[in-house]
Amino acid sequence: MDQNNSIPAFQGLASPQGAMTPGMPIFSPMMPYGSGLTPQPVQNTNSLSILEEQQRQQQQQQQQAQQANTGLPGTSGQTPQLYHSQTVAGPTTTALPGNTPLYNTPLTPMTPITPATPASESSGIVPQLQNIVSTVNLGCKLDLKTIALRARNAEYNPKRFAAVIMRIREPRTTALIFSSGKMVCTGAKSEEQSRLAARKYARVVQKLGFPAKFLDFKIQNMVGSCDVKFPIRLEGLVLTHQQFSSYEPELFPGLIYRMIKPRIVLLIFVSGKVVLTGAKVRAEIYEAFENIYPILKGFRKTT
Amino acid sequence: MAYQLYRNTTLGNSLQESLDELIQTQQITPQLALQVLLQFDKAINTALANRVRNRVNFRGSLNTYRFCDNVWTFVLNDVEFREVTELVKVDKVKIVACDGKSRNYK
Repeated sequence: MDQNNSIPAFQGLASPQGAMTPGMPIFSPMMPYGSGLTPQPVQNTNSLSILEEQQRQQQQQQQQAQQANTGLPGTSGQTPQLYHSQTVAGPTTTALPGNTPLYNTPLTPMTPITPATPASESSGIVPQLQNIVSTVNLGCKLDLKTIALRARNAEYNPKRFAAVIMRIREPRTTALIFSSGKMVCTGAKSEEQSRLAARKYARVVQKLGFPAKFLDFKIQNMVGSCDVKFPIRLEGLVLTHQQFSSYEPELFPGLIYRMIKPRIVLLIFVSGKVVLTGAKVRAEIYEAFENIYPILKGFRKTT
Repeated sequence: MAYQLYRNTTLGNSLQESLDELIQTQQITPQLALQVLLQFDKAINTALANRVRNRVNFRGSLNTYRFCDNVWTFVLNDVEFREVTELVKVDKVKIVACDGKSRNYK
């Protein structure tokens, strides 16, 4: 079983057997671009092309293994070769097999290569935040009727909804204040504005005589929007990305794209306008847009 | 029972002041005064509902609003009341509005 340790395919290299060669990419060359969670441009996620690539790589390795094995004495032909090529082609390679590296990179020390997306410049478009929803606990029970009678710009209709709906002008927001002391603040355009608005509502409640605190402020949802500035073929997009998309033009004119990583829902319209929602942090919106932009470019309408 | 909304109007306040004078001079009892006011509520509500036909438009900027116990209270600024015949401009107006076709009266 010396074939496990001595890998004849490394005859060309001066490195000791089994040791990690510095400068080599340490990821597996067998890993296809992405794992299906992050959307990739069409030419790379076509499962057929990945399969072909894998087969091509395996064939290369098998050829090299066969060349090397001709020098070995007396071993029964097929099975050890297969076993050998399987270990070489497995996902846990410690170094690249074969004399010809699969990636034509110079062996400079520590050249990190990100496998995921092909080299593409950023879109240059930044999604603008349109709405932030946040919650905070004022930490004390509230008498909603007192608040509705004494505060300005408040609505309270307990038959319809069990909360006081209060609005302030700066930042222009709306708050739902519940008798438990919990509050929802909507309509702000940035995280800081949402927090400031929530504090202003808490101060209003405090001035009415309640011992209001500001506990567990948390941003629950962020909505952003942008324009890619070209029309999009939604039909094409739903055909290739059907695991993520739902497009029902009779129901709603936008395609609903549920991205898995990050967990963001995008509404994509024929005009090229995109709405992104479901984010807890701003970076998720930006990341989701950077992920979808190359895909949308691939579905640009040419007529 | 009709809305007691109209007691705080020029007409309603004049009535209340007169009734208070009569009570002071012992000419009527407070119970009678209360009955008068209740009758006033009914009368003014039916009169406004049935005997008033003209329409006034108004436009201004909203300062504050409130909705509680099914009553809307607005404070408007720089309001123009416009009728076909004339125009009235006011700096500040407070509007108290109750539900029109209400099932239960106050």
